Amino acid sequence: MRPFSRPFSNVSIAAATLVALLCGAWLLHRGTETHAPPQPSAAQARTDRPATGRPATDRSAAALPYVPPDRVRIPSIRVDAPLMGLGLTPRGGLDVPPAARKNLAGWYEAGTAPGGTGTAIVAGHVDNAEGPAVFYRLGALKKGSTVEIGRRDGSTALFSVDAVEVYDSRGFPDEKVYGAAGRPELRVITCGGGWSAVTGYRGNVVVFAHLTGSRPGTRR
Amino acid sequence: MRTARLLTGTALAVAAAGLCGAPAYGAGAEPVELYPATVAPGAEVTVNTAACGADDAVSGDAGAVGAGRFTLVPSAHEGDAVGRFEVPPSAQPGTYEIVARCSSGRRMTSDLVVTLTSTQEAGPRVGPRVEPRGSVKTGVGGALGPDPVQTAAGVAALAVAAAGGTWLLHRRARGDGI
Repeated sequence: MRPFSRPFSNVSIAAATLVALLCGAWLLHRGTETHAPPQPSAAQARTDRPATGRPATDRSAAALPYVPPDRVRIPSIRVDAPLMGLGLTPRGGLDVPPAARKNLAGWYEAGTAPGGTGTAIVAGHVDNAEGPAVFYRLGALKKGSTVEIGRRDGSTALFSVDAVEVYDSRGFPDEKVYGAAGRPELRVITCGGGWSAVTGYRGNVVVFAHLTGSRPGTRR
Repeated sequence: MRTARLLTGTALAVAAAGLCGAPAYGAGAEPVELYPATVAPGAEVTVNTAACGADDAVSGDAGAVGAGRFTLVPSAHEGDAVGRFEVPPSAQPGTYEIVARCSSGRRMTSDLVVTLTSTQEAGPRVGPRVEPRGSVKTGVGGALGPDPVQTAAGVAALAVAAAGGTWLLHRRARGDGI
């Protein structure tokens, strides 16, 4: 006769053991592997358009009046971070936000403000010493994704992603990335392109986007 | 009386600016905004105003600095009319009055300061602006290492599995059958 005083049947213990075994193996595998931030695929690369015109399908909005930005939002990769002003390093490179604040990005203050005609630049960390930071998933962004830039008057400039590229630090294409544009464009930059213990990240992930519209401000 | 009308007009303009979601710093400030307000010769200046209403075409006059007339057109940015003019490369340093007129005839001015050399340019123009160069140092590899939380959870789950297995073996050893 089977005793009924047993709280658990053999089957349920065996099932729980199996589940714990599988979970444990999966967690241990995930936890100990070295995972790198996502990098863009070749499908997201820039298709260089003729310098004079833009494709007919390209819905490009008219420039917005100058208003400094204060926030960057990229819904498809769950980015929502404040923006600080950035300057240049003594060597002429773009400065970066303090690494300790992982959810903070910056914009190049002396350049074009996002929404104005020209190339506005936003940069943020892919990670810091503790782990992933604001633009960890930037390399997973796809063409056509939306980047929203909140502006100090409460309005939002909307950008559509044209391309996501990785460039090596050596031979960095300054003109492509920072060069002037005849329409309102945006670059979002973070580190990427492989990592080595000696040099750190080899280059940058660069998102190319152009202005498609804006949302009026909800007055604060 | 005239002062009163002027004040009313200003109040209305400020109220309109408020309704249209104009820049927060626009309300109470000058009805015509110049970006940048301080420029070097040859630079382009963007002119904004929210004072004329959303659909009004606004005429601008930068004749004082030698740039002639221009038009401010309503922009996607609600309530703001936006126009541009280029400061002639030959412009002399000094302060110039830039005029904008609503179709109602309302006249607004703002001062443009032309300097000898370039200061920080906030306007949307290539100009003598310095662009950054080179890659950006935005990561240290901190996301690459093992994840201690996941690793610890994995070890804990395996411990649970080991306990369960031991329990089953124990029952079997007692002859309870599996």
